[in-house]
Amino acid sequence: MNVIETVALTKSYGQQRGIDKVSIAVKKGEVFGFIGPNGAGKSTTIRTLLGLLHPTSGSALLFGEDVVKQGHLLRQRIGYLPSEVDYYAEMTSRELLHYHADLFGITGAAKKIEDLAQYFELDLDRPIADLSFGNKKKCAIIQAVVHEPELLILDEPTSGLDPLMQNRFFELLEQRNADGTTIFFSSHILSEIQRMCDRAAIIRDGEITAVEDITTLLSKQMKKVRLVLQNDDRPELPEGAKHAEWIGNKVHFDYVGPTQELLGWLNQQLVLDLTLSEPDLESIFMNYYRR
Amino acid sequence: MNTVLFLKELKRNRKNTLIWSSIVLGFTLMILSIYPSFSHMGEDMVKLMSNLPEEYAKAFGMDEATWSSIIGFYATYYGIYITLLMGIYTASTGATIIGKEERDGTAEFLLTRPISRGSVAGTKLAVLLTLFVIVYAVQTLVAIAGMTVFADTVNWDAFVAMHIHGFFLIAFFTSAGVLMGSVLSVKLNYMGPIVGLIFGTYFLNAIASASDAVGFLAYFSPYHYMPLTLEQGELMIDLWACFGFSIASAAMLVFSYKRYLKRDIVG
Repeated sequence: MNVIETVALTKSYGQQRGIDKVSIAVKKGEVFGFIGPNGAGKSTTIRTLLGLLHPTSGSALLFGEDVVKQGHLLRQRIGYLPSEVDYYAEMTSRELLHYHADLFGITGAAKKIEDLAQYFELDLDRPIADLSFGNKKKCAIIQAVVHEPELLILDEPTSGLDPLMQNRFFELLEQRNADGTTIFFSSHILSEIQRMCDRAAIIRDGEITAVEDITTLLSKQMKKVRLVLQNDDRPELPEGAKHAEWIGNKVHFDYVGPTQELLGWLNQQLVLDLTLSEPDLESIFMNYYRR
Repeated sequence: MNTVLFLKELKRNRKNTLIWSSIVLGFTLMILSIYPSFSHMGEDMVKLMSNLPEEYAKAFGMDEATWSSIIGFYATYYGIYITLLMGIYTASTGATIIGKEERDGTAEFLLTRPISRGSVAGTKLAVLLTLFVIVYAVQTLVAIAGMTVFADTVNWDAFVAMHIHGFFLIAFFTSAGVLMGSVLSVKLNYMGPIVGLIFGTYFLNAIASASDAVGFLAYFSPYHYMPLTLEQGELMIDLWACFGFSIASAAMLVFSYKRYLKRDIVG
């Protein structure tokens, strides 16, 4: 069963682009990445899924139900972590989290709030207005998970968190995912997607460029090749080599293509030294964008 | 209606309501408490009144009866100050009660909870109605108490008519405030347009009353349809006007409600 399913989901603001024909399907129990630079349409997609924006065309289903018609019932099953945290300045974190729990109608929230606040080292009794961005983010994380939702929608979740807290947060997510929570993880930080996700969609200029398994993305993508040859004859580089730069008998280039073909070509050369760098997601990301 | 949101909103508005209620109540008590001093001046005040320009007296709804009874005296201030103050408070609250969440960025928090847009808007309007009724009822009760204390006889029929007209007039301005909040930018400071609307329409009616040459201007003012001052010491309830104002107020609220359901929360 798909927990999230959008079909040609489009949102435009008059003449301005929002998202265009976004189609994605996220399976139950999956950690699904949503990668794109700022302004690509990640938040617009999320805000449409949550009912904050009304789709111009297309459809969006959560748990098989329409987000426009059944939005308020569906939100009972969702935890949402926004990228920017704007809460009621006059409240303390404790008041906000209890208000949240009351709106969700959950009982026994006080103990869960205390435990999560302790885990994330958040002082619950300080006014939200006095909190740093990082501490506001901790409060936002707690409100996203305290009601134990079936689906977590995370929009740039680690912004403002120090590495220690990021690690604790990821551990919590891994634990929740192991318990069956589906996670929709939107970020422009690709190492986070690499760590957390099973599959990812890449969005650019409001359109989905690719939806791939993380392992597939990694395996069929670019490799960085650094090579020192025995002479400076400068042989023709293999098909799939890009951005080559020669300095004497040294060359470095990006290679996109089957690894076997690269090895075949290398075998024909008189190689003094060779470095093949594993592609990181940043490179994959840029590679997709150059297409 | 969502009870959790209703109680939270009441709590968030309590300080503002307390401040405005204190101003309105203090003013009501002050007006009624100074009436005995004016009434003792009796004939002198009537003579003074007769020396005032006729247009001035007409504009502010003053005649000989104004100074000869507590209800006439109270009516002058009720129209100029009390309904204006209450109208500014409820209309400005109406303009911001829904849009404030967007302006402060908290709409994203509220609307990602399991509450429908309709329930959010309905609850916020219920809070507005509650605040309006609290301020209105307390002012009316204090006015009744003040009348009883500071005068021997009161024309209660005129008092009831005046307060019923006041109720519908304030309800109209409150709904106009809600409408403003739904059509104008949430970043706008609504106080200016609201004060402009309420004072503007008041003075439009006052100017129209002062001179027949510009009498037609009165048709553009809600005060014209809901008189608050006495004529020859009497005031009758205009049921048709009350009905018309109810329809107009309800239409503005329904329009704003429907508009909110379709509104994009851009963030």
